[in-house]
Amino acid sequence: MATVPKVDVGTDYKEKYGFFVPEEYVFKAKRGLNPDIVKEISWMKQEPEWMTKFRLRSLEIFRKKPMPRWGADLSVIDFENIFYYLKASDKQSKSWEDLPPDIKATYDRLGVPEAERKFLAGVSAQYESEVVYHSLQEELTKKGVIFTDTDSALRDHPDLFKEYFGTVIPPADNKFSALNSAVWSGGSFIYVPKGVRVDIPLQAYFRINAENMGQFERTLIICDEGSFVHYIEGCTAPIYTTDSLHSAVVEIIVKKNARCRYTTIQNWSTNVFNLVTKRAMAYADATMEWVDGNLGSQITMKYPSVYLMEPGAKGDVLSVAFAGKGQHQDAGGKMIHVAPNTTSTITSKSISKAGGRTSYRGHIKMYPDAKNSKSFVKCDALLLDDESRSDTYPYNDVDAENVTLGHEATVSKVSDEQLFYLMSRGITRNEAETMIVNGFIEPFTKELPLEYAVELNRLIQLEMEGSVG
Amino acid sequence: MALTAETLEQIQGEPDWLRGRRQSALAEYERLPMPSRTNEEWRRTDVSRIDLSQLAPPAHGYGAGLEGGGPLPSGVILQPLGVAAAEHADLVQPRLFSLVRADRDRFAALHAAFFTGGTFLYVPDGVVIEQPIIGRHFSSPDSTVLPHTLVVAGKASKFHYLDEYIAEDDQEAGYRSGSTEIFLGEGAQVGYVAVQKWGRNVWHFADQRAELQKDSSLRLFNVTLGGRFSKTRVEASLVGQGADAELKAIYLASGEQFFDFHTLQDHQVGNTRSDLLFKGALQDVARTVYAGLIRIEKGAARSDAYQANRNLVLSDHAKATSIPMLEIDNNDVRCTHGATVGPVDPISMFYLRSRGIPEATAKRMIVQGFFGEVLERIPFEHARRLVETELEARLG
Repeated sequence: MATVPKVDVGTDYKEKYGFFVPEEYVFKAKRGLNPDIVKEISWMKQEPEWMTKFRLRSLEIFRKKPMPRWGADLSVIDFENIFYYLKASDKQSKSWEDLPPDIKATYDRLGVPEAERKFLAGVSAQYESEVVYHSLQEELTKKGVIFTDTDSALRDHPDLFKEYFGTVIPPADNKFSALNSAVWSGGSFIYVPKGVRVDIPLQAYFRINAENMGQFERTLIICDEGSFVHYIEGCTAPIYTTDSLHSAVVEIIVKKNARCRYTTIQNWSTNVFNLVTKRAMAYADATMEWVDGNLGSQITMKYPSVYLMEPGAKGDVLSVAFAGKGQHQDAGGKMIHVAPNTTSTITSKSISKAGGRTSYRGHIKMYPDAKNSKSFVKCDALLLDDESRSDTYPYNDVDAENVTLGHEATVSKVSDEQLFYLMSRGITRNEAETMIVNGFIEPFTKELPLEYAVELNRLIQLEMEGSVG
Repeated sequence: MALTAETLEQIQGEPDWLRGRRQSALAEYERLPMPSRTNEEWRRTDVSRIDLSQLAPPAHGYGAGLEGGGPLPSGVILQPLGVAAAEHADLVQPRLFSLVRADRDRFAALHAAFFTGGTFLYVPDGVVIEQPIIGRHFSSPDSTVLPHTLVVAGKASKFHYLDEYIAEDDQEAGYRSGSTEIFLGEGAQVGYVAVQKWGRNVWHFADQRAELQKDSSLRLFNVTLGGRFSKTRVEASLVGQGADAELKAIYLASGEQFFDFHTLQDHQVGNTRSDLLFKGALQDVARTVYAGLIRIEKGAARSDAYQANRNLVLSDHAKATSIPMLEIDNNDVRCTHGATVGPVDPISMFYLRSRGIPEATAKRMIVQGFFGEVLERIPFEHARRLVETELEARLG
């Protein structure tokens, strides 16, 4: 079993829910980014030539694109001081027993085996850059559902993979999608065949666990006509002394009459830069739902989007952000209405505390063909003290006839009346505020599976402890 | 022709300090580049087709006085800005272009360097003027028209002021501006209305900015009707506790008109209130951009801010963009904002049609109803009548 080495693991994170397992790598790439490293990654993974070329082309794009000048301050990221690929063990483990003991220790702390016992469909745990443990219930396989890590998908389902990979988010979309396209590793690949409903949520746990370590996972989900799937990603990470970069790309295709829900609980340690591009294409009468919770990280910039491509498509974003000391959560959503009779809603709830900053940044775009479409955006912000900050930047562009678009936002503090009521019942101020915050985000928690809702409430409680009142 | 140092030399009768200020604004104008579309404020606003090397000579006719005439209460100064700059330098010099700054962008610098006169109004402490003061600015197609208004409201003063920007020819082209600075002393109550009805082919750039001291209250109302291109910034800085700014606007864009509005509600101190409502109707292939920001600074506890932008899109090809933004640095505040973009409500339309009202008339009634709510907020009767008449003529 792992022993906890003497490493400066930050302050409060460790006591709350952080832990540390020593590094043990089979292969460790050099720091920095250049065509040789990209080729090496591709060679290590024994990828087909088209993927190597795709990576190299993406690297070119990454180099040409300027850093975004809006949103959070990203100037401190040193791209040359990052490991772009790490592999924790030689081969993938087929069962829990085969996992290396230190990795097992990590998941023991996270409760992964328990999660599996609770009839969860599959556990796909990303330790460092590659999926090392993956189990899939036979039931799913029988239905024809593919649920695997992205590297294996490229190997085992090359045609399906090539048809969709990079079609929703091309490398040139933005600087960080280009970076991800150049050095991606791991992530989940899901294919749900026509008419198949996956009743239990598919889950993956992601972890970052090396100093200066980049995580560039790549997820691709294809919901064929009339299918349904709910995918959940959750992150916790031990804290380290220097900054880490997490830059994922998530592409989702929801075909006619299908429905996909993608739930995230992001709780990176507060030194991580979390710069993620998430986008879905929804076709005729399809539904795409993003349920997105951002609690951790130093800086998050993430705007899950839905492109409503055909009539009747529906997009939903439900987003919660919590920014504590030193954190900036720049999150929101984008709805791009391309076809007529499409509908979308974005609900954003944000909480800022102890000098934290939350920003809602959203974009609603109605193209000329998006006749008779509707969109509604609602943002509520709660500021827990006078050091904290909340911003709202909604961009609404309407180019189509007969469309309805609404945006509403409120910013407020915890109401004195509510506090007084609770405290007059003998509840301490801190407990009362925690209750109010939990109530505030309830529309979000009630959309989560029970164990996640419990975990989220617990996380909020930990975030609220001590420093308020 | 291009406007240069030679153009400035032809401006006569202004004191040296103002000449110096024009020269430094000219230096800014020559130094600053055209705003690029990579700049967020200009991303949706295309100024690439303005040719600043082809501007008519700067000039405009204007006048101001009490509605219905008559003498002003004693102590009130109402003068052309150039005259006031010489005779009341103590009042004008510290304030002129301190709110509407010349170095903000190239168009603001152009305005500050070559402004073609305008009105200076000073109302001493405690003076109440019942009748509104009406300022009129007239354009001609052969001029670059750059009016500037400077209003100084003494403590506990109370009055209403209207700036009306009138085109000689509705089809005129050229470059126009129309900027206003308003200083509200403690407890002052000011109603300010600007009605822009330049010709349909002009470029128009306006900056309206007010500074509100303790317990002062401003009711500002902006009406934008003219211009092929019109960009208006409406900004209020609440610098004293108890200050209260109401910023309202209506705009009616038709044909190929493009209107851009940027607003700022800057709560620098606490216990301040601001209330903004911009309502616009769009016809034909018109386009509008609204981008507004509520900023609550760190110490500004117990501020109350509201911001709303409502767009009624009457045609299939009109386009409205709405970006209401908040930056809140204090928790003890109440801030709400909203934006809507939508067509004529089909249920209202059906109701009117079922009563035998022709579609065009029904549409006009719905637009009038849409504006009606905010027209009531025009702070004085004279301006209200003027705006109603204008709207009626244009909705015809």
